[in-house]
Amino acid sequence: MERGVSSLEGLVCKARRYVVLMAGYDPGMHLGSSLSVLETVAALYGTGRLKFNVANGAHNRNYFVLSKGHAIHAVYALAAAMGYLTVDELRETGSIGSRLQNHPETDTPFVDVPNSGSLGQGVSMAVGLALGLRLRGEPGRVYLVTGDGELDEGQTWESFAVAAHYNLTNLVTIVDLNNVQLDGHSEEVLRKGDVAGRFKALGFDVVEVDGHDVKEVVAALEKAENNTKPTVIIARTIRGRGVPPIEDTAKQRISRDDALKYANDIC
Amino acid sequence: MLDLESLTPREALGRALADLGDLRRDVVVLVADTGETTRARLFAERHPDRFFNVGIAEQSLVGIAAGLALAGFMPYALTFAAFMTRAWEQARNSVDRLALPVRLVGTHAGFADAYDGPSHQALEDIALFRVLPNFTVLVPADSCEVYRAVTASATVKGPVYIRVGRDFHIPATCGLYDRFEVGRAYVAAEGRDVAIFTTGITLSFALEAAQLLRDRGISAAVVHFPTVKPLDYAAVEKYAASTGAVLAVEEHMVHGGFGSAVAEYLAQTRPTKMAIMGLKSYGRTAKSPQELYQYFGLTPENIAARAEELIKLR
Repeated sequence: MERGVSSLEGLVCKARRYVVLMAGYDPGMHLGSSLSVLETVAALYGTGRLKFNVANGAHNRNYFVLSKGHAIHAVYALAAAMGYLTVDELRETGSIGSRLQNHPETDTPFVDVPNSGSLGQGVSMAVGLALGLRLRGEPGRVYLVTGDGELDEGQTWESFAVAAHYNLTNLVTIVDLNNVQLDGHSEEVLRKGDVAGRFKALGFDVVEVDGHDVKEVVAALEKAENNTKPTVIIARTIRGRGVPPIEDTAKQRISRDDALKYANDIC
Repeated sequence: MLDLESLTPREALGRALADLGDLRRDVVVLVADTGETTRARLFAERHPDRFFNVGIAEQSLVGIAAGLALAGFMPYALTFAAFMTRAWEQARNSVDRLALPVRLVGTHAGFADAYDGPSHQALEDIALFRVLPNFTVLVPADSCEVYRAVTASATVKGPVYIRVGRDFHIPATCGLYDRFEVGRAYVAAEGRDVAIFTTGITLSFALEAAQLLRDRGISAAVVHFPTVKPLDYAAVEKYAASTGAVLAVEEHMVHGGFGSAVAEYLAQTRPTKMAIMGLKSYGRTAKSPQELYQYFGLTPENIAARAEELIKLR
């Protein structure tokens, strides 16, 4: 079912509440990053590009690689917002017996490429998957989400060069550019330079959007899908979006009381 | 009929892959600017659509191979063994944790690349891949065994590491057995007094050592393990029991490799007098692998001497 943008915005709002709610129960989750990438995940799942009710391994479909695997709670929250997970299950995330582990694992639901916890590796796997789908003659696309911090890993550039060289138009890359990484602001940790320019130099087309404007993200996806060159969407975002004390900081943790308070403020 | 003995190990590798590509449409081959040096070119010539060069980028090589496996292919990724280990964490997180059918082929292993010196001489790769729970580790001795091991690797469900040399080999397995079975050891010589366990090229050194020992009235068994993992525990146990003295010889560091695998098993099941011969330091640039085997003491004479000592110390 295709959803209109107004309902996409409703979904984002609901999912953002769920991300914050989970933070009240799971001190091990990466709250800030899940909040920055949320609209991107909504633009992919909320429009039917990706589906929650697809068995892993099924053919003739699109694939999702969340290379910044620590933001997996954005996927859990959206799944719950769309009715594929219960809130009860969300509360269990990060527990030893829960399917909803803090990084995508082999038993994690809704994940095509698990084990993307180690940064940089999901990019290569997405490129391999896209090469493989093209070799099989399958029409499916691979949607790859990476982060600006992740781009520090040299492996990402090794594989982006391959994507450009083999002109992988079935790979759609979204960079969740939230300007913050573990040790702080990227400007202080390690300057990224002209991120768009780095991709353009390899031969990518680059579309830059406000990553919190789900309409803009969807429009950029459409553009990428119709391009004859591989496209990178740079989604400018705010880490921790919606939780004022952690917005645009490297902070991850909030108390359960704060989590419930901010969840209420969202929508 | 293909004369495997006349091929170099890397030619046997390229031929095996090209032939495998005829049999299986799901086989794809990736290289890191190593299409010529690994002889993957032989596959590329026959199956150009299933050959990918990712440039000098080993981490990307292994990760892209994992992605191709997720898309339903059986990727063989080839580069120098010394540089394959650069992507060890990718082998762990992108391949082994998912138990994907990715085959990593490390060529120029051990002292095979004498010219390029220690930076290019992998002496730790067996240890590094052996520690990963889902990996199978194959260490063929000569060109015949390279061809057979690569062919047999297609039957393995999970990931496989295959250790291959370059041009130097001493034919020893062509007539030793008919069929290569993953996980099986092959008895190259029967003996009572001491068992010499080999993997890779050390098989030929051990066979010569056994001859030297025979001249001194010592009966040495030579048991060859082209599969280091899963190790043929029954063969280990049988020859440990029948001889009471086990000497493991490998073209690899003595820590963590094939000898360690044997020792780990015996220490926990049937403590046996044992010695491990191999390397304890990095290699050197030299004119040939043979020169390096001499320089670092991996010779039939030294193996015979060590076996004799092991028996006397019992």
